[in-house]
Amino acid sequence: MRRRHGPFARVAVVVGTALLVLNGTFPLVWMMLTSLKDENELIRIPITYLPVEPTLKNYVQVFQQLPFDRFMLNSAIVAVTSTVVCVLIAALAGYALGRLNMPYRRALLTLIVTTSMFPALVLLVPLYRMFLGMDVPLLSPLVAALHDLGMRFMPTEVRTPNLLNTYWALIIPYVALSLPIATLILTSFFQLIPRDLESAALVDGCTRVQALFRVIAPVSAPGVVTAAIIIFVNSWNEFVLAMNFNTTMSMRTVPVGITMYQGEFAFPWATISAAITVGVLPLVALILVFQQKIIAGLTAGGVKG
Amino acid sequence: MALTTPTAYRSPGLWRRLRSGNLTEAQLGIILLIPAAAVLLLVMFWPIVQVLWQSLHFERLNLPARGRPFIGLEHFQRMLWGTEMAWSPQHLLGWRLLAFAAVGGLWWGTGRGTVRRRTAVIWTVVALLVAGLWMGFHPGEAGRWGDARFWNAFSITLLVTVASVAGSFLVGLPLALLANVESRWRWLVRIALLIPWAMPRVLVGIMFAWLFNSTNGVINDVLRRLGVEGPLWLARADPAIWATNITIVWATSAFVGLILLAGLQSIDESLYEAAMVDGASPWQRFWQITLPLLRPSIAVALIFRTLTAIQTYDIPYAMTRGGPGRTLETLGIYVANTTNSLNLGYAAALSVALFTMSLAVTVLYLRWIYADD
Repeated sequence: MRRRHGPFARVAVVVGTALLVLNGTFPLVWMMLTSLKDENELIRIPITYLPVEPTLKNYVQVFQQLPFDRFMLNSAIVAVTSTVVCVLIAALAGYALGRLNMPYRRALLTLIVTTSMFPALVLLVPLYRMFLGMDVPLLSPLVAALHDLGMRFMPTEVRTPNLLNTYWALIIPYVALSLPIATLILTSFFQLIPRDLESAALVDGCTRVQALFRVIAPVSAPGVVTAAIIIFVNSWNEFVLAMNFNTTMSMRTVPVGITMYQGEFAFPWATISAAITVGVLPLVALILVFQQKIIAGLTAGGVKG
Repeated sequence: MALTTPTAYRSPGLWRRLRSGNLTEAQLGIILLIPAAAVLLLVMFWPIVQVLWQSLHFERLNLPARGRPFIGLEHFQRMLWGTEMAWSPQHLLGWRLLAFAAVGGLWWGTGRGTVRRRTAVIWTVVALLVAGLWMGFHPGEAGRWGDARFWNAFSITLLVTVASVAGSFLVGLPLALLANVESRWRWLVRIALLIPWAMPRVLVGIMFAWLFNSTNGVINDVLRRLGVEGPLWLARADPAIWATNITIVWATSAFVGLILLAGLQSIDESLYEAAMVDGASPWQRFWQITLPLLRPSIAVALIFRTLTAIQTYDIPYAMTRGGPGRTLETLGIYVANTTNSLNLGYAAALSVALFTMSLAVTVLYLRWIYADD
């Protein structure tokens, strides 16, 4: 807004903005400060704000106490695979809904948005049963065949059918859970691409499918990046399903793994805060690099329709 | 004489069109939608059908000998009415008579033409259902209103929904207004709005459990410096529910702010200029222009927020594990705990309750979407 403000309004805006920034960043900054303090410093009263003797040993402790590197690897594999699969599927659907003259387009889009409102918790019981006595047509034989080829997604020697404690148990629901929002984002991006671009390609003798891959795909890269980031963040953060489906320590993801540091009554806050700091690093990096794209994607999902 | 059979023009088949790439738009569209439809059908819709079916069965994985017998609505009876419920015509008779009188009044109004017929029919059905099914049942000798743990979880979920949706709106609106101001620090504002959104909710819960720590937490330290002795936040139910709500508001108000920000940016600047020429004060501009034009965004934000609030799980779980005891257990935590204790049948019934609540909000959303078309 380029309106002029009086001096009082200006001061109010500056103070408000400072409060906003403080509100958004303080808890995380406080965690980082805590992670640099010694365990004994944390129980000192009155509490210290800046670390008196900064130490990095909590970070060492994070990796020694539990296999945190394994948690990171698990989360990375699950989140990246879900993102790639979900973006591919959503891009196809988004193109169909955003660019093509399809019957019932609006109704289909509404149906997809409605799907995004289903609580993930409802999937807990049926998917648990499905994965436990796993005999999904096509998928189980595929997993068994891959196992025989040396691609072992299972932690044990079990070839199939139990999908619990595998990456699949998380990738499958994560793709489905992020698909509606990703489709919505990509649909609205495809709608923004000028139609002339495509018709020019068609006039030049491209088929529709060729036009899709040679003309539309490169132009829609920003939309794809936006959708990918949002899917990645969703998958990295998911907790309930990861907590209940993958219960062996070597298959835990980051958010679940971090809750494992606290015992029944003991809270090693220094270690926990160091783990949180490491665990959210990828997210903070994404925010720093892609802030505008993320906001565009989030608001596209929230716009009516 | 060789007869050449005249070949009528046949439009090429789907497979040939697919190979040559010459599909009609609708055909291509359907093909492109197949993977998404398959995923949603297999991983979203089919499990929901399964959970409905499962809720009608007894199944405990720790009692494999019992198998999985069909038990009808027994789970729901246990959940809502309890096994000790009895039907008595006297139970809450006054309220039921009052309801019937109100319905009678409606029909009288229909006769005079002041009430629409449809309204009267709908309310009659509602009153019959409530009065007949609900009010006629009463707890028996040792009975109670069904599963006490369910009703507790239900009321905690409602409380969290109402408090955190209202809270995140009241915090989110100022955030959006501030973020909309042009300044050099806009990137910092964006980051401050995105961090709460991007943090895993469980970690937010753990973080705030540390901030709310009664002896070494920063919140009680600040209160102490101000001369107030802060409560033992997470040890008792009463302050714990507010600590939980504050945390949820922190985690979600940024998202509300972002949606409202998008709404603010779509408001035509010239409206404000015209209002300034007319001498409207900032306060008037806010109430007369900003708020009315922001209504669609507000509706979207509130509906999405309500839907996520109904599923609240991570933050209360991380902060108190639904405790102290089971006092702050939300419906989501109850579903997960029941699944963990391997009582899959009852967990499915609880999931159906959760699903019904969010379905009600979804229906509101759809009605609102189609309302002004």
